[in-house]
Amino acid sequence: MTDKKVLIVDDEIHIVHVVAIKLRNNGYEVISADNGAEAYDLAVKERPNIIVTDFQMPVMTGMQLVEKLRQNEETKDIPVIMLTARSFAISKEEQESLQISGCLSKPFSPKELLGNIEDILYEKELVTDN
Amino acid sequence: MRLGRSLYLVVTLIVTYCMFTATLAVGQNSGTGEGWCYAGNINVVPVCSVFVAVGVIFLGWSWLRLAGAVTSIAMLIKNEKPNSAGRNKGFFPYLKKAKIDELCKAVNEQVNNSTARNAEYEKQIKDFQIQVQLSQKREKNAEAIIYSIRDAVIVVDEYDRLFMANEAAGRLFKFDFQKLQHRPIAEFIGADQSEFANFLSHSRKSKSQATRREIEFIENGDRKTFDCIVSCVYDQNRQVCGVVAVLHDVTREKQIQQMKNDFVSHVSHELKTPLASITAYSEMLVDGEANDEKTRKEFYSVIQNQARRLSRLIEDILNTSRIESGLIKVNKEVVSLTVLIEDQLQMIKGYAEEKNIEIIGQKPIVFDQVYVDRDMMSQVIINLLSNAVKYTPSGGTVRILTEVDEASSSAKVIVTDTGVGIPEDEIEHVFDKFYRVGANKKQAEGTGLGLNLVKQMVETVHGGRVFVKSKVGEGSTFGFELPLAKRQSASIV
Repeated sequence: MTDKKVLIVDDEIHIVHVVAIKLRNNGYEVISADNGAEAYDLAVKERPNIIVTDFQMPVMTGMQLVEKLRQNEETKDIPVIMLTARSFAISKEEQESLQISGCLSKPFSPKELLGNIEDILYEKELVTDN
Repeated sequence: MRLGRSLYLVVTLIVTYCMFTATLAVGQNSGTGEGWCYAGNINVVPVCSVFVAVGVIFLGWSWLRLAGAVTSIAMLIKNEKPNSAGRNKGFFPYLKKAKIDELCKAVNEQVNNSTARNAEYEKQIKDFQIQVQLSQKREKNAEAIIYSIRDAVIVVDEYDRLFMANEAAGRLFKFDFQKLQHRPIAEFIGADQSEFANFLSHSRKSKSQATRREIEFIENGDRKTFDCIVSCVYDQNRQVCGVVAVLHDVTREKQIQQMKNDFVSHVSHELKTPLASITAYSEMLVDGEANDEKTRKEFYSVIQNQARRLSRLIEDILNTSRIESGLIKVNKEVVSLTVLIEDQLQMIKGYAEEKNIEIIGQKPIVFDQVYVDRDMMSQVIINLLSNAVKYTPSGGTVRILTEVDEASSSAKVIVTDTGVGIPEDEIEHVFDKFYRVGANKKQAEGTGLGLNLVKQMVETVHGGRVFVKSKVGEGSTFGFELPLAKRQSASIV
């Protein structure tokens, strides 16, 4: 079990629901938002360990959310995993410049997403410890 | 000629007689010595007179021979045989026949050669004139072809000076070809079009047969993209003597390509979204992540709903595509709008009751026949009704009515709800493909194609128009207007 907090951001309620069940079943605390603006406020307030966000959302897109997170001292180091239904939506350069830890294409496997989250958090822990 | 000979004979006789007389007279007066000049013992005057007379006689004789010869030659050239009998008559005979024939033959040969040469020259001149005419015609045809091409065509010489340009090029680069011919193109190609001038120059220097590049220009304030093909022109020594540039406006093609890409991208996104849910939920079921029966049923239900959504989406995409490409089969007939609405109200009734929404129809009106495809118009009405029910909270009302305007010979179908409404800045986009009102996405699922299909079916297929008005928190009114069917051909269906 872990005490890690994950913020899931997607305007598709079923995706949020299924990812939340998967993560909760594996001991994560899950909070959710259905657009970028709401997610940013939640990230500032709740300081999640990792954020899983959709790429295309109303009000504020996933990319805009990451850009805003990186500008805030308190949220700039939060790892982000991007879910996208559009092929080649994010270039390698964009991924690196915005420090996006991983990208998963829809349809995705909740198992694979969980594996990615675990890897990223483990890596971050190692870096912090050193 | 005969007169000449007679005269000559008379003159010769007179001269001879005079000389003879003079000689006799000199002999008689030689002792006096009056009137004459003496050189020693010789009297000079009679001797000189004799010489002059002999000279005159010889000249006359030569003249007659020459005249006779010329006459004979002339007659022979004219193909008139000189009278051989007559020729030998008279004081001076003509030239001998063999000589004359030889001369005539030579002259005839020369004449024949000259005639042949003349004919040859005339033929060559005619050929040359034909060649010149053909060449002029070809040049005019080539010019006409270049001028009639809708693409801009520019030809420059080896020094980048304007050699030829058609009207389209003049319009694009804003120049008058007649005034700027043989001027360097850098003088009249604007700074914003320097990429083109550089491309021309570079292509000429590279001596490559043909090069291609997409170049953007600003034309009347609009950014336009041109597919520019530049080919080198070679002279007889295979040296580049100029370049031809053809600029084809591909702005529309680019826009269509962009629209296609956007459409594919949208479709891909919209298809993947329900598919993502189906994949994730089924994996969770397989992995035993649904711990209890209730959760499992919930998962099955999500999968079922998302599969239906996917199916609807595919159907809507195909219908949109068929309408846009003009491939959809349209079977128009005269139909009563009231009858169509009644049919669709029966279909939506269950869904409305489930959501506790009251649907209010109307009493049939006298004449509301329209000439439409029954299936398409049914789908238009059901899409509007289901949208109204979908975005109206429990306890609300959906009203549908038909209005007929005899004056404009048109009928309107109006669907009004007491739903959540649409923000003002989003109203203009509600009929766009894949557009979903952001604030209402949570309210209900949708493909973003339903209203676009309504618009396409009403406007593209039936020549009508759609309309909408809405206020957030108060509700929306969607509707469409169609021309009424002609009364004489209408019969209630």
